[in-house]
Amino acid sequence: MLLTPEIVPGLVATGASARVAHHVAPRFRVGDRVRVRNHNPDTHCRLPGYLRGKLGTVEQDYGVFAFPDTHAHNLGEKPQHVYSVRFTARELWGPSSPDRDTLRVDVWDDYMDLD
Amino acid sequence: MNGIHDLGGMHGLGPINPEQNEPVFHEDWEKRAFGLFAATFVFTGYTVDEFRHYIEKIPPAHYLEGSYYEHWLYSFEGALIKYGHITRDELDARIAQLQSGGH
Repeated sequence: MLLTPEIVPGLVATGASARVAHHVAPRFRVGDRVRVRNHNPDTHCRLPGYLRGKLGTVEQDYGVFAFPDTHAHNLGEKPQHVYSVRFTARELWGPSSPDRDTLRVDVWDDYMDLD
Repeated sequence: MNGIHDLGGMHGLGPINPEQNEPVFHEDWEKRAFGLFAATFVFTGYTVDEFRHYIEKIPPAHYLEGSYYEHWLYSFEGALIKYGHITRDELDARIAQLQSGGH
């Protein structure tokens, strides 16, 4: 493939987005309580380490994206849903955290299970 | 991988102070680094996830000291070497040449 001028604007605008057009059933619905897996591969993943094992609530379904763990290593797109998941600061950082603070993180389907 | 790039929640790094009226690029070379993303994306056929993985593999001390576009440059080098467009020896030789004042 050659780099031609007409390729560039789309690439720059989307940042080479990993969104894909596949129709894949979501494993979770908005409002589900989810537990993040203790997922710790020595290959690529986009799960922040501080989320491992934590309990959160699905707030929004963004649609279907390529899975970074496989996509980074030429192992296919493994298309799946990505969600905005809400975690309380106390769940993440312990009882000294302000009790009203929350954090929303984008999490792929394969990184979590129903609690 | 749980490398140094995974800084979320880490103590001791100080406050985040966004620059006022931050320019898109701080140095001229950063414009060329930005352009290299499109070029290496097309030439190597890598994915944005693979691009990120090369950044994860930057040695930890270098990662913390390097600027945003230095991380990009490191990733381009990793991809261009992996896909056979350049060799590590060629890259090292070019760096040595530039360091000695060559062009």
